[in-house]
Amino acid sequence: MLQKGTAKKVTIFVNEDTQHHFGSLCDSILTFLLHKGVSGATATRAMAGFGAHQVMHTTKIEVLTEHLPIRIEFIETAAKVDELMPTLYDMVTDGVIEVQDTQVVKVASKERPSPPKGPHTETRGTARLMRIYMGESDKWQGEPLYEAIVKRLRLMDIAGATVYRGILGYGIKGHTHKSGRLGFSHDLPVMISIVDTDEKLAKAVNEIESMMQDGIIVLSDVDVIRLVHSRPAVESSHAND
Amino acid sequence: MRTTKKAKILRLHFGESDRYKGKPLYEAIVNRCLELKIAGATVFRGLEGFGETAEIHRHHLIRKDQPIVVTIVDTAENLARLIPEVEEMMDTGMIATSDVEYMRIERSPAAGS
Repeated sequence: MLQKGTAKKVTIFVNEDTQHHFGSLCDSILTFLLHKGVSGATATRAMAGFGAHQVMHTTKIEVLTEHLPIRIEFIETAAKVDELMPTLYDMVTDGVIEVQDTQVVKVASKERPSPPKGPHTETRGTARLMRIYMGESDKWQGEPLYEAIVKRLRLMDIAGATVYRGILGYGIKGHTHKSGRLGFSHDLPVMISIVDTDEKLAKAVNEIESMMQDGIIVLSDVDVIRLVHSRPAVESSHAND
Repeated sequence: MRTTKKAKILRLHFGESDRYKGKPLYEAIVNRCLELKIAGATVFRGLEGFGETAEIHRHHLIRKDQPIVVTIVDTAENLARLIPEVEEMMDTGMIATSDVEYMRIERSPAAGS
């Protein structure tokens, strides 16, 4: 399974009608990648294009339609690409192979459950607790600040964050946040609490600091007892889009 | 990362139905914090809980008695001034302090990104 971080993206350009062992080259490459356990590959047919033969292949002229270019793309780790490359080099008798460095941001898989764990695992250790205080009406680029912060933390792979809404409070802004007579108010105090390692929180603090207008960030040392249950991934709602 | 300052966090746990001189206790405590020029105070309402009286605090149809937590971050000296006052106001409940580091973020709206 592909992981977040640096990876290689391989793009192969071939002709639709190029043959390889009595089949189409495109099919052979895809079958080869599938058997080698590549995490995913996509072949796209082009609308028009030309290559080294300097002949324009286009859908507009029927004779030339069967020579249309096909682009096969896949993303894999550098080690895996190195392993596959000799065979691909040999297979592509007519076409171009290109490799570029890329950054994998998200790998989400809905169907595949996470590998089964024991009844529950317990991890103990020291960690840091961060509390961020702000107002509910604080905005960051048009969206509520607390939502923007939680989204950013998720992107940074922070273990978890919880948003609390207070019912009364005052702080840096000098005014009291209080719900109105009917219980409606849009500027109640909001607190986000996050538990993770010191290094990851230090990175998070930098990001959050630049997003906040005013507020307070409080850090403290905590002991963590973490319970991980062996619940199937389908049940937990973290796979939502 | 900008430098952090050392401070203390104070947490007060009690029930929503607790009162002080006719007013809800949490309101009275926040007002006292304002009077004592404490940097800030935030009141949170819990969903359910129980304490030393072993009585479950939860939302009843007629009576609201959910747990309340007040958190206050300030210097040790300021909290030392506050704690005796709060202790006198609270009937039953719990007062907890712990060491923290904090950073204040204050920007004028015009300087925002």
